[in-house]
Amino acid sequence: MVRVINALLAIVGGVGGALLLYWILNRLAEMLPQKWEERVKPWVFILPAIAAIGLFLIYPAVRTIVLSFANATSTAWVGLENYTDLLGSRDFQITLVNTLLWIAVVPAVVVALGLAVAVLADRLGSGGERLTKSSIFLPMAISGVGAATIWRFIYEARPEGETQIGLQNAVWTALGFDPVAWLQVDTLRLNSFLLMVILIWAQVGFSMVLLSAAIKGVPIDTIEAARIDGANERQIFFRVTVPQIWGTVITVFITVLITVLKAFDVVFVMTNGNFNTDIIAVRFFNELFRNGDNGRASAIVVMLMIAVVPVVAYQVRHFRAEEAAR
Amino acid sequence: MRWRRLFQGIAVAAVAMLFASACLSEEGGGGGGGGGEAEAGDKQIEIMYGFGGDQSKGFEQGMAEFIQSSGINIKFTDASQSFDTLIRPRVQGNNPPDIALFPQPGLMLDFARQGKLQDLGGMLNMDSLRASLVPGILDTGTLEGKTYGVPMSMNVKSLVWYPKKAFEAKGYKTPTTIAELEALTNQIKADGTTPWCVGLESAAATGWVGTDWIEEFVLRYGGPEKYDQWVRHEIPFNDPVVVQAGQEFEKLALADGNVFGGRKGVVGANFATAMNPMFQDPPKCLLHRQGNFITQKGFITEKVRQNLDEEVGVFLLPSTDASSKPVLGGGDLAGAFTNDDDTKKAIEFMTSPTFNGGTKEASYISPHKTFDISLYPTETAKALTKLAYESTVFRFDGSDTMPGSVGAGSFWKGMTAWISGQKNLEDTLKDIEDSWPS
Repeated sequence: MVRVINALLAIVGGVGGALLLYWILNRLAEMLPQKWEERVKPWVFILPAIAAIGLFLIYPAVRTIVLSFANATSTAWVGLENYTDLLGSRDFQITLVNTLLWIAVVPAVVVALGLAVAVLADRLGSGGERLTKSSIFLPMAISGVGAATIWRFIYEARPEGETQIGLQNAVWTALGFDPVAWLQVDTLRLNSFLLMVILIWAQVGFSMVLLSAAIKGVPIDTIEAARIDGANERQIFFRVTVPQIWGTVITVFITVLITVLKAFDVVFVMTNGNFNTDIIAVRFFNELFRNGDNGRASAIVVMLMIAVVPVVAYQVRHFRAEEAAR
Repeated sequence: MRWRRLFQGIAVAAVAMLFASACLSEEGGGGGGGGGEAEAGDKQIEIMYGFGGDQSKGFEQGMAEFIQSSGINIKFTDASQSFDTLIRPRVQGNNPPDIALFPQPGLMLDFARQGKLQDLGGMLNMDSLRASLVPGILDTGTLEGKTYGVPMSMNVKSLVWYPKKAFEAKGYKTPTTIAELEALTNQIKADGTTPWCVGLESAAATGWVGTDWIEEFVLRYGGPEKYDQWVRHEIPFNDPVVVQAGQEFEKLALADGNVFGGRKGVVGANFATAMNPMFQDPPKCLLHRQGNFITQKGFITEKVRQNLDEEVGVFLLPSTDASSKPVLGGGDLAGAFTNDDDTKKAIEFMTSPTFNGGTKEASYISPHKTFDISLYPTETAKALTKLAYESTVFRFDGSDTMPGSVGAGSFWKGMTAWISGQKNLEDTLKDIEDSWPS
């Protein structure tokens, strides 16, 4: 009960406080001479937002960059040592390679699968389409930790001779093979790919919903025109449909890419980065919270930021181009 | 034009903030004054600890008497999910609990070095504690002559468990030297049973069981002096004696056919239930090295736990010769973040030789040799307590004493990678050596 009241108070106080702040700022601006009022007023309304971004985004980012040049407890400067140590360590190199693999594989597969499902579901009757889409969308509603826990049971391995409770090993042993501890097999990065499957499984629904909406938005007359001109299904798909939904494809791709860069829960729960499956976000967590090393943790985040910049820049440019084309 | 000015504004603000934030925190400072007069308390303290389940219940019951007699309210914060990652942000955020029971002295010493912990010398009577505690255990929480942590509980790790009925039916004898243990292992294997069960999996802490094995053999082959030097990093982490320890572990309990499930099975098996295959019929293994806490509820099967004395036998992991009986152990060290009357009274109570917080559940034993041994619930618990009190030398779990980034980081992960087959022993130890904070 107390909590409910607290929550209500927080909502009323928060919204009311913001309103009050803007009202006071507005009144102050109105007290200025006409010419100045016009100049100042836009700033008055945008300033709190800039201040909030500065406080919660820019300041921490700057602080992180600064701390990445300091030691573990942030008490002395160490120059580039955090970066050279990290990049020189075998474990971190593996972490980087894994992260690159995730980036290369997951967004592309998610878009391809989402597109395939969206196109195929479009051909089903309305009942079939609804059933297919909702069941594929369902994993979206499961948290990363929940998904990882489910998949732990799929990859679970028991010693030979015991009952295999893991789905994959149950099938594998039924086919006459010896049980395999899947998550420990790093040959060709198999275990990393098995972990990627989980994120793909969770993200395909998202990609499917957006792409399906885009496909349904493709004007039917363009497709009919192509058909009259004698184009086959494949040509229609790649030459007529895909170019018209390309904007959505890019948006989905980049959204999933950013999700991948931030991916943490799946790997943390399944392996905690052991067996050469470490990725950058898990490594960051372990450096900061387990090892208490502010310097290295910051250095990792800075590298992650640098990696994200081109992606964001591309997205902004793409967005601008779209706007201009409209 | 407008936009350009806006960006200029933001840029200026950012540069200003860069200057504002370009200074680093002060070293040490605050806290750690110790010795000073304790402030009067507000009858409200918080205790944070890393054990859960029955042990947590037992501890709360043990403290109930204190709450009644002193009128001090205690907030129990069970951080068993992940003690080290939960307490760090609390301390860094200047919101530490009043008392923390550290399962890892390394983490505690980190905080002591940063000046966050109180010197307990001013709060407790160290001489009387030293007289009743197991020798050597108080040194674990001591840094440069000041004691920051006093043990509330203790556990013994150098124990080898066996299924009594199956073991005795075959006429096996408990070994008293490493050579005899190797002979026993080979004998069991020759008789058609896999000798060992080992389990490494422990969620985010996976790997610590492997570190225990290495420490056991470093203590046995190198002796306590070399062990201390190794833990304090006065000799390299990959000293020859550590390589020897790893090779011994590999030969004894990791070699093909020596361990249930093979190396991959070891890494996948949860430490809490790893021993259970030995109670199947026929037993899947006959030997398991693990601390006394393995007998608590939820770890071994309930059927075995109910008849512990008939079902389970235990012997000390032997050393190079029968006369030396080194014991590796652990425990929860009580450290204080605040220096007030309430904290002092509470810490005095829980570290006293008569405090009994959970020995009934047999999950840990009192670190005081003067503790009434009849209070332990089973013959097994009494026997292993005797083994601990009769040890020729007691050493605290080394990985728990090393800096957190090694002891709870690269050492855990290294053991996991090595046993699972991602790295060989030499590379593993070299990588851990490289990860030691300078």
